[in-house]
Amino acid sequence: MSSSLCMSQSLLRSFLIIIRRNCSGIVVSSSNPSSNYYYDHPFHPRSFVIYQRRNQGDGICRRITAASFSGYNTTAASINCNSTSTSNGNSGDGDDGPRTSGGGGREFLIMSDEKLLSQCEMDFFRVRGPGGQHRNKRESAVRLKHLPTGISGQASEDRSQHKNRASALARLRTKLALKVRNTVNLDAYSPPQELLQILPKKSTIRGSDIGSQIGPNNPKFSLGMQALIDLIFAVEGSIADAAKKLGLSTGALSRLILSDDSLRMVVNEYRESKGMKPLK
Amino acid sequence: MRLGLARRSLSMFPPILTRAYSVQPISRTSISPPPASLKPQTPLFLRPPTHSATISDLLKWQKWAKTLASSVGSHFTHLDDGPDTTLLHRELNWLLQDALENPKLPLSHVGTNEVVKLRAEMEDLYVLWKQRIEERRPFQYVVGCEHWRDLVLSVEEGVLIPRPETELIVDLVGGLVKENEELREGLWADLGTGSGALAIGIARILGPFGSVIATDLSPVAVAVASYNVQRYNLQDKIEIKLGSWFEPLKNVKGQFVGLVSNPPYIPSNHIRGLQAEVAKHEPRLALDGGSNGMDDLLHLCHGASSMLKRGGFFAFETNGEKQCKFLVDYMQKECDGSFCDVDIVSDFAGNKRFVTGFSGP
Ligand SMILES: C[S@@+](CC[C@H](N)C(=O)[O-])C[C@H]1O[C@@H](n2cnc3c(N)ncnc32)[C@H](O)[C@@H]1O
Repeated sequence: MSSSLCMSQSLLRSFLIIIRRNCSGIVVSSSNPSSNYYYDHPFHPRSFVIYQRRNQGDGICRRITAASFSGYNTTAASINCNSTSTSNGNSGDGDDGPRTSGGGGREFLIMSDEKLLSQCEMDFFRVRGPGGQHRNKRESAVRLKHLPTGISGQASEDRSQHKNRASALARLRTKLALKVRNTVNLDAYSPPQELLQILPKKSTIRGSDIGSQIGPNNPKFSLGMQALIDLIFAVEGSIADAAKKLGLSTGALSRLILSDDSLRMVVNEYRESKGMKPLK
Repeated sequence: MRLGLARRSLSMFPPILTRAYSVQPISRTSISPPPASLKPQTPLFLRPPTHSATISDLLKWQKWAKTLASSVGSHFTHLDDGPDTTLLHRELNWLLQDALENPKLPLSHVGTNEVVKLRAEMEDLYVLWKQRIEERRPFQYVVGCEHWRDLVLSVEEGVLIPRPETELIVDLVGGLVKENEELREGLWADLGTGSGALAIGIARILGPFGSVIATDLSPVAVAVASYNVQRYNLQDKIEIKLGSWFEPLKNVKGQFVGLVSNPPYIPSNHIRGLQAEVAKHEPRLALDGGSNGMDDLLHLCHGASSMLKRGGFFAFETNGEKQCKFLVDYMQKECDGSFCDVDIVSDFAGNKRFVTGFSGP
């Protein structure tokens, strides 16, 4: 394969290794995930543990690393997954404390689809037997598990595996944004570009060069949403404090948070854990 | 009384079961003349919404259909690895989606006396679902289409329903053409194109000068593939030819930069034991690969090196590990160094499925 491909693979590999060494570095916060918007999500993704690996032999689903799907034979993700230890991510361990890390979370979100996929393991449900011309079955459900964090996105509503894969990836991005926290330095805080882009125009720090406001349907929204949640966690859930940092009124920031169901749920769950009233 | 209607024979329901709607004229240039009588059927989701039904009639049908699907349980699965109730319920939703003019409409939110527009008559929906369950008619033939990659391909009896495994061939080609201009802008072949799936998938990722010639021995396949090519407006990039394997390509020998094929590969005596949807409804010509399933694969193997330019790529789908290994072995021993970098590639379920390589030492 091409040298550029090899290079990106080895880059990826070293990237993963760094993260692995730095295990406690990325932390997956356990906000309530809600079967509402992942309506087809079969398991409860409450607290995720880093590098969880579930048993493979359940007999009804086969897994491969997603990258080999795109024709790459060895992938960083598969190397990674062979050498990581097993831990169980499905039993809620009750650790709800928001923990943060430098790097990591944001890096996943800015990756191209291809690169993010290469860090995922893909499950296909009920695919077994000889396949190919032998069978006629539309079992196109796809679950992508992001190996570095153990977070999954899944889709099964479409007839096409292709489309389900794309939806699963989009859901994975949203979940990464919701669940993986980055450290925020409050003293020298200046909102990143992607956060400015999701703010309403009336923000006094937004600047006219930012362009029009990006809404929840835009794929770029999750990156801004992640930065917003990072900030809200950093100010311990105070919407007023966060609003100040963003040049918005408290009301305007509340409206932004309430405009997206998953964002609202994460923020409210966090506020409740701090004994604050949920936003309505 | 609905059930009574549903029991009528298929031939009594021309709108959906025959070729009532004419399709756009078949491309003038791209086909070696198909028999004039073959007009591909229009898939349900593309038919005009000229029928209507009240919501309550529709819900009644849905309930009936669900019950019928529930009665299947895992019977078919035990019998021949056929569909179970869960899958059939999902198919039922898709059938409804294709039949409704406005599939996004949540039926539960509409008053039961309201009328919705349908692309088939209510009575046909009964017939179609009975065919699905009682005759094991493949769902894709029932609705006349299959979702494959990002495409929706028209299919009908006489044409193999493209399989999800085969999608990977397009990804493999995609990886190559991205990095190699000669491959991206060159001439490709899809042998035994069926619905045209591979030809269309590949044509869409080639550069502005890249093109595909697709062949099939089945006139129905040629007609359906041409229809699909038209639907994706690729008639300038894909030429469909009727004939056996390399035979229609004599005048372009040695000019291909790539050759892909998913030929029939099931051993003849296995066909009877396949799930009823396949064994009873899909064309034998598309499945039967001779006594060990290798007849067509070996034939393609022989012809490939003389069709391809040096450095040209090939990918063949096979029945699994055994055929892959046999083929690789055969290429290395018998084909006298006409191929290099021969490799076995697994499908998404982890089965060894494809043999790929390049021509020339
Ligand atoms: C397994 S199907 C594959 C169809 C399509 N390429 C796909 O992947 O969905 C095999 C195809 O080969 C065609 N075929 C069988 N014998 C052939 C021959 N001698 N020459 C050309 N095509 C042939 C069949 O009509 C059928 O369309």
